Amino acid sequence: MSAAAPTPGPAPRSPAEPDAPARSSAAPDATAWSSAAPDATAWSSAAPAPAPRRARPRWQETLGLLARNPSAAVSAVLLLLLVLVAVFDETLAPSGPNEISVADRLQSPSLEHPFGTDDLGRDIFSRVILGAGVSLRVGFLAVAFALVVGSLAGLLAGFYGRWVDDVLMRAMDVLFAFPAVLLAIAVLAVRGPGAGNTALAIGIVYIPVFARVTRASVLGVREEVYVRASRSVGASDLRLLTRHVLPNAAPPIIVQTSISLAFAVLAEAALSFLGLGTQPPNPAWGLMLAEGRGYIDLAWWLAFFPGMAIFLTVLCFNLLGDGLRDVLDPRQRTLMSGGGR
Amino acid sequence: MDDVLVSARGLEVHFPVRAKGVGRRTAGVLRAVDGVDLDIRRGETLGLVGESGCGKSTLGNALLRLVPPTGGTVTFDGIDVTSLDRRRMRQLRRRAGMVFQDPFASLDPRRTVAQTVSEPLEVHGLHGGRRERAQRVGELLELVGLDPAVAGRYPHEFSGGQRQRVGIARALAGEPDFLVCDEAIASLDVSVQAQVLNLLRRLQRRLGLTLLFISHDLSAVRHISDRIAVMYLGRIVEIGPASAVGAEPQMPYTQALLSAVPVPHPALERSRRRIVLGGDVPSPANVPSGCRFRTRCPYVFEPCPDVDPALQPVGAAPDHVAACHLHGVVGTPVRHDEGVDVGS
Repeated sequence: MSAAAPTPGPAPRSPAEPDAPARSSAAPDATAWSSAAPDATAWSSAAPAPAPRRARPRWQETLGLLARNPSAAVSAVLLLLLVLVAVFDETLAPSGPNEISVADRLQSPSLEHPFGTDDLGRDIFSRVILGAGVSLRVGFLAVAFALVVGSLAGLLAGFYGRWVDDVLMRAMDVLFAFPAVLLAIAVLAVRGPGAGNTALAIGIVYIPVFARVTRASVLGVREEVYVRASRSVGASDLRLLTRHVLPNAAPPIIVQTSISLAFAVLAEAALSFLGLGTQPPNPAWGLMLAEGRGYIDLAWWLAFFPGMAIFLTVLCFNLLGDGLRDVLDPRQRTLMSGGGR
Repeated sequence: MDDVLVSARGLEVHFPVRAKGVGRRTAGVLRAVDGVDLDIRRGETLGLVGESGCGKSTLGNALLRLVPPTGGTVTFDGIDVTSLDRRRMRQLRRRAGMVFQDPFASLDPRRTVAQTVSEPLEVHGLHGGRRERAQRVGELLELVGLDPAVAGRYPHEFSGGQRQRVGIARALAGEPDFLVCDEAIASLDVSVQAQVLNLLRRLQRRLGLTLLFISHDLSAVRHISDRIAVMYLGRIVEIGPASAVGAEPQMPYTQALLSAVPVPHPALERSRRRIVLGGDVPSPANVPSGCRFRTRCPYVFEPCPDVDPALQPVGAAPDHVAACHLHGVVGTPVRHDEGVDVGS
């Protein structure tokens, strides 16, 4: 159909679809239906859609909305910087993590040592920079593990229901029944300390969180008509899950990922603080916090700077998560993009 | 005789009604579709009408096994659909399409029109390469009266009527023989309804489709159908040629339904006699014994609670059947240990 403008046929109705005012009185009735000249008008009614403004891809729209949320935008930028710092830590750090200089021990912050030095004379600024990589690596690994395992479990449980749901979610309940830190300590006690095992321990703790979030989201999406419509044309379960259910169930999972990263960084610090995570002399923020604890009234900078690093990182992940929640919530989206500007 | 494409025999869809509280006790059975025999002939348009909740959508879904039947059989072109394994069933879906009621819910908001329409092509490996598929999508969009240039757009950029056209294009992509339109025009504006209805009629003729047109809109059904089936509480109570059912309904329920359709003539409209049915439709979880319509029927008499009426030839037109004792008491006597008696 390349017929340009919607040309009205002889029938008294306008073929232009969107505006059909004041015809309600001529409600559907037998004669009106049959008076509609079958084919001529039908074709003219098939005028091309008035070209709507081409929408940007969804992720671009999402980014645009996120940029308008100041705290989320600033957090995203800071986190990006942090990732850069972690990647180029060796180049950025003025000295090695374990360069001991007993003469310079417990120096207060100065130009030479911006964050001061610790009880062995190590540069705290360098150690905070090098600790970023440890914290982020463990955090990302842990959340990635929890995301993959938990979301898969939630996806299957929510989509198939019945016994699959019962078995998987009862298993999640068992994991949930343990206090988070206790469970992580138990895993570390079995597997021994170290960065990899810390990530695994934290990951296991967060599996049920992702499973529940995903399942709840999938339960809503699987009842959507477009899922049934896709089934009606012969799509397999795998196709339904990957092409329709998961993409539409994703927003809460994305938000959960950001918020979980905050908790994972915090948990890594806590486990290191307890001596179960990263082992000395490697730099880790939680470990540095623990080492600085003994000098807190003598040299505040030992605990203060790693503490600030933990605090800022966790805050940024949380704010970004909140911002994502606002942007990805469809109702919120209408409010912000449709109603507002 | 007539060439039957889709056939249902004793088709039942019962949903368990769960009791509230701990455990999953079954408290009762909801008989959405309760023993339907139906033959849909190749190339015809069968209109299926009835009130909300009478099971017409469930019947349409059950014929395509989108809702699993709990009893009876469905055959599609001689193939027993009810016993087919999942893989074979998926392959068969190419030959049957479905158009859904709500065009705002039936398109995946995250997929473009092209992705939606080409899904059947991808699933069934039709039209091999990317370019051929894109071309086929363009043809399909033209077929339903859309500009092929809209293929890259998302559903939220379209009006209801346009979305419904996309839905129709998707249903037709696999070149099906059978198309189920489940209230396909119910949620559109009145003027758009006419366009979509005419589109469906034209496509049916042009492509030689067999069409099951499910609607509660009697005028639309009369306009498009060759035959009309009337459904009440999970059963088909009357079925016959559209002209006969429309002009001389033989079952009191059909008469009442038809009397509710307004006449487009002021004088006639004023003098129109309406049959207003008392009471509500009984719950499909608690179906009256004997004739299901007896609790609201103005002509109810002795055999109604005791004999479950069978479809019998009625009226002047051949091929017109109705389930009503007014035309002679035919049917299965009710065994009084089953069937819940609802006060008349």
